[in-house]
Amino acid sequence: MAAASASSFIPLKPRPTPRVKLGAPQSFSFRRPALAPARLRISCVAKPETVEKVAKVVKKQLALPAETLVTGDSKFAALGADSLDTVEIVMGLEEEFDISVEEDSAQSIATVQDAADLIEELVRKKCA
Amino acid sequence: MLSFLRRSYLNFSFMNPHYCCLSRNFSAALPPLLPVQLPSRMETHLWYVVPDEVKSAPLLSKYMELLPQYERDHVLGFRGDQLQKSALLARTLVRTTIARYQVDDHLDPRSLRFKRNIHGKPEVEWETKDGFCPPPLQFNISHTSSLVACGVTMNSLIGIDVEEKRRRTKNNILAFAKRYFTAHEVEHLNAIPDSELQQQEFIKLWTLKEAYVKALGKGFSSSPFNTFTIRASSGIAVETLDSPQNLTNNWQFALLELMGSHYVAICLERQETGGAGKALPIKLTARKTIPFVEDELVSGTNAVVTIGGSVTQF
Repeated sequence: MAAASASSFIPLKPRPTPRVKLGAPQSFSFRRPALAPARLRISCVAKPETVEKVAKVVKKQLALPAETLVTGDSKFAALGADSLDTVEIVMGLEEEFDISVEEDSAQSIATVQDAADLIEELVRKKCA
Repeated sequence: MLSFLRRSYLNFSFMNPHYCCLSRNFSAALPPLLPVQLPSRMETHLWYVVPDEVKSAPLLSKYMELLPQYERDHVLGFRGDQLQKSALLARTLVRTTIARYQVDDHLDPRSLRFKRNIHGKPEVEWETKDGFCPPPLQFNISHTSSLVACGVTMNSLIGIDVEEKRRRTKNNILAFAKRYFTAHEVEHLNAIPDSELQQQEFIKLWTLKEAYVKALGKGFSSSPFNTFTIRASSGIAVETLDSPQNLTNNWQFALLELMGSHYVAICLERQETGGAGKALPIKLTARKTIPFVEDELVSGTNAVVTIGGSVTQF
């Protein structure tokens, strides 16, 4: 056994998270027009803002430093969320957006973008 | 061989100038895994690793070498050292544990393949070869940053979940329970006046519910937490809301306190009963391990205390 052991784990570089392109089609959400409709009700939020809010809830739940890079592509699990964290995040999102997320929908959320898309759909249904 | 290893680690910021000599020492010194007999039909094996006790960078590199590229990528996808380490130890633990059972004479942890069932539950993908009949080995893993655990049985579906005793929810417990648990469970938690005890009971309930869903292996959406109640008055049992009068007898549970710091919930498919349908206790063997370094039998010691369910440790 090597005598000189590192006192901490090998500093493995995290993989860079690519930024999500706005308006890029996502396989799990409906396609959106590139421009927001002229009649915009206050409670129907735009995509980047939703992603930002989701990121904020996630960072709070996982106690991540404010400057942590969390984008649409960020996976909850990769950020350190276990199943209890994920459920708490969904609960936090329900409060933040005043929506109710069914458990089977909640289970399909893997990334910040998944959550933002689901929220937008639920909010859109409320606005409609 | 060594230069290949060095090249493959250029992706890590592992530019430790001492790596060369350390790894040479290490690669010569790695002992084989201690082989273990497969659990009998009635036994459950619990293996666990404490990440804080695994400090050697060369050893962790060796563990990384056991993984196929896609698993290495998965480990590296986690943010930060601690998360990557526990992800690495989870894959290492499951591969080395299954390899110990020497199911196939030259089983190397590296050569194990895994697949997922139609619901996403991980399973071993045994090689199909003439004369080789794969054993009905079942396993399940769970990890937190401070503990990685793997449960193994023969035949019995198994689900395990581990959690720190002191885990705190960000949300108010009762608000959370009202949203996600059943009315009976909310009532049970509400009746606990001490907030510390209430928090602990919540964590115990959470781990038991997780273990049940993981044992079922059909994914969380098929068994939302508010569709079944865990009753833990005398013994632990599960009751599904669609048949409230019949406690579901197919499943038995164990709740352990590990090292005084963690709860471990185990849910098993019931294999046999004693007379008059009475459940036989779970026969548990627990081992703490640092793969390739040391294994310690801890069942029956105060490292593993049964706090729920009927368990015989040996």
